Amino acid sequence: MIDAIKLRILQGDPIVHDVKNAHLPKLFRGLPAIADKPCPEGCDKCAAVCPVQAITLSPLSIDLGRCTFCPLCEEACPEKLIHYTSNYHIASDKRENLIVTKDTKKIPHAHAAKKIRDYFGKSLKLRQVSAGGCNGCELELNALNNVNFDMGRFGIEFVASPRHADGIVITGPVTRNMSRALEICYEAVPNPKIIILVGTCSIAGHVFENSVQLQRQFMEENKIDLYVPGCPPHPLTFITGILNFIGR
Amino acid sequence: MSSLQIQNNQCFRLNEIIFAEKNDFLKTVSEHLSGGFRMLGLFPPDKRNPAKIIAVLANAGYSELCIAGGEFPADKLEFESWAALFPQTNYFECELAENYGYTPVNHPWLRPVRKQNVIAGDKPYQFYKLEGDEVHEVAVGPIHAGVIEPGHFRFQCHGELVFNLEINLGYQHRGVEALFPEADSNRGIMLAESIAGDTVIGHTCAHCNVIESLSNTQLSLRAQVIRSIAEELERVAMHLSGLGGAANDIGLALAASSYGRLRTLVINSLADLSGSRFGRGLFVYGGVRFDFDRENIDLIIKKLNTVRNDVRVINDFLFSSTGALVRFEKTGAVSTDSALKIGLVGLAARSCGIELDTRINYPYGAYRYFPVSQITLSTGDVFARTRLRALEIDESLRFIFEQLENLPGGEIRAAAGSIEPCSGAVSITEGWRGDIVHIAITDEKGGIAQYKIKDPSFNNWYGLSLALRKTEISDFPLCNKSFDLSYAGHDL
Repeated sequence: MIDAIKLRILQGDPIVHDVKNAHLPKLFRGLPAIADKPCPEGCDKCAAVCPVQAITLSPLSIDLGRCTFCPLCEEACPEKLIHYTSNYHIASDKRENLIVTKDTKKIPHAHAAKKIRDYFGKSLKLRQVSAGGCNGCELELNALNNVNFDMGRFGIEFVASPRHADGIVITGPVTRNMSRALEICYEAVPNPKIIILVGTCSIAGHVFENSVQLQRQFMEENKIDLYVPGCPPHPLTFITGILNFIGR
Repeated sequence: MSSLQIQNNQCFRLNEIIFAEKNDFLKTVSEHLSGGFRMLGLFPPDKRNPAKIIAVLANAGYSELCIAGGEFPADKLEFESWAALFPQTNYFECELAENYGYTPVNHPWLRPVRKQNVIAGDKPYQFYKLEGDEVHEVAVGPIHAGVIEPGHFRFQCHGELVFNLEINLGYQHRGVEALFPEADSNRGIMLAESIAGDTVIGHTCAHCNVIESLSNTQLSLRAQVIRSIAEELERVAMHLSGLGGAANDIGLALAASSYGRLRTLVINSLADLSGSRFGRGLFVYGGVRFDFDRENIDLIIKKLNTVRNDVRVINDFLFSSTGALVRFEKTGAVSTDSALKIGLVGLAARSCGIELDTRINYPYGAYRYFPVSQITLSTGDVFARTRLRALEIDESLRFIFEQLENLPGGEIRAAAGSIEPCSGAVSITEGWRGDIVHIAITDEKGGIAQYKIKDPSFNNWYGLSLALRKTEISDFPLCNKSFDLSYAGHDL
């Protein structure tokens, strides 16, 4: 008993109290800032090094849905026009909002329809489906339940059965072998239901985009409610994205 | 025995491999296997010519590594299976059969590795079935009851007792190996980082080693040490996660949440170094991208001091709890004999008393100059697998502190050379689960022609099946967590 109490004292107060204004490590790569300066004539170094074709030139823009938040473009730019800031508020309900240009100061907050906010505003249960995820996103989603992030305090939880869920969270690029299971799982969730994509793999396929082993039809056939970019997304990106989405 | 002797991370010319006639090849491999070698790979070096295959074999006791080559008649790709005598080759033969159309004759149990279509249709795979009174079958997955990767488990039970567990994977198959030949250097590293998201450093290190061996790139000592520190940080983080998982599965919430808190500190240390909690973006061919300076060393040491101090208290709490020990001890035991036969690797093998650690048997990078200790336990049960994690955390922390305080000077990035044509290299690293093998073969132009990956999970999933025999089905989650294997690393 005394050991348990000692352990509890050691535990201290590790929780991130204010999830919307947390400080992440200096090097953490969140929302990129693009300097308001013209690119050097004919330079395509950032786009050339990007392994996932997230960058379009003239004008320079970065698609966070495709971006893996690696340091390559920042390193390649001779004029240092690209800089990844530690702003982790990058989840969005609209795919086009994930495209960052020199005018982007922040990603507009996700916002669900009134019906969804009324239904799920105070309690949201999610069923996660890993459809080819490498276990990176899965680890970060699991971290949401640890003592640092404790997502349960907001009434948002992962549940075991899709029948108990209000929506599904998809990680991974959706492999051929998981595509049917994903459909079955989604069908089992009662209406109204939401779909959340977590990670670059599920949003755009990551480096696996052109693999013949993928089957991404599900993404085209269904409306996606929330995009949480990252490789993997920081737990706080997920929490704040959902809190904004359900109007909290 | 005609085989090519090589070393870990040594570049060899393809024409040095002796391609023996089929029967000689089969005999050579058999002789090696009976001499204590383990199989690391069995595949054709040239995908266009599946009739010529190589077997990569390793004998950790003597730090030996060799390649045997064999040439089959192109119209008859079949061979007498080794698996009945040497069960460790079973899965490698299945893989060869699945990918290149070989027929292992008299194979005891030919089954799909990745490319099954169990749910998608075609002809469904027939699972192993137990028959008799009061026998029942439990099917679980591919989607499990938690935030976890997919896989299908079939239990053949008699009451509560599991007689057989069949593990059917492949749901995560993204075609990683096939993507490597088309990838440029940036994409190659990113692919390696995404083989298994929990072993980013281990896999990326193996990938960089194999490419650097092929391009004769020499790393500075500082870069090698930074890589090793990152590897050990990953090991500590995932071992803490495993211990937390085991504590959680027996309902010891206080220990589980405490381990979880410490894991956060360790992965945040990786973020202090590289900006990513998993160390993504740290590796480049020729070294590392991010360096230690006074500022991040102080941040990391502060975090790790808390870990070193607190983990001792939590370990004492967990391993002196009678309730925990009752659940851990004698649960899901794998005997040393079985472990050797099926070729268990890494943590699971060491918990059965087998001395097998790449950092010691095939030292690479900084481990050549700054060795770590081999730690083994003998009981092979859940207790051994969890206790070993605790012991390995201590050893890894010792290594990290020692290196952080004595970092060698020098540059962290060397220019990468050009890749040798018509060559190959085998790189083995010790990920937190066990040995990670990356084998690359180049074509005439210096491009990657063939890329093979072996994650420790490829060997160890069968160990989980064995651990479940005569174990109560309710102990499955605990046994599963004690192995903590990768689906993505197996499925590729």
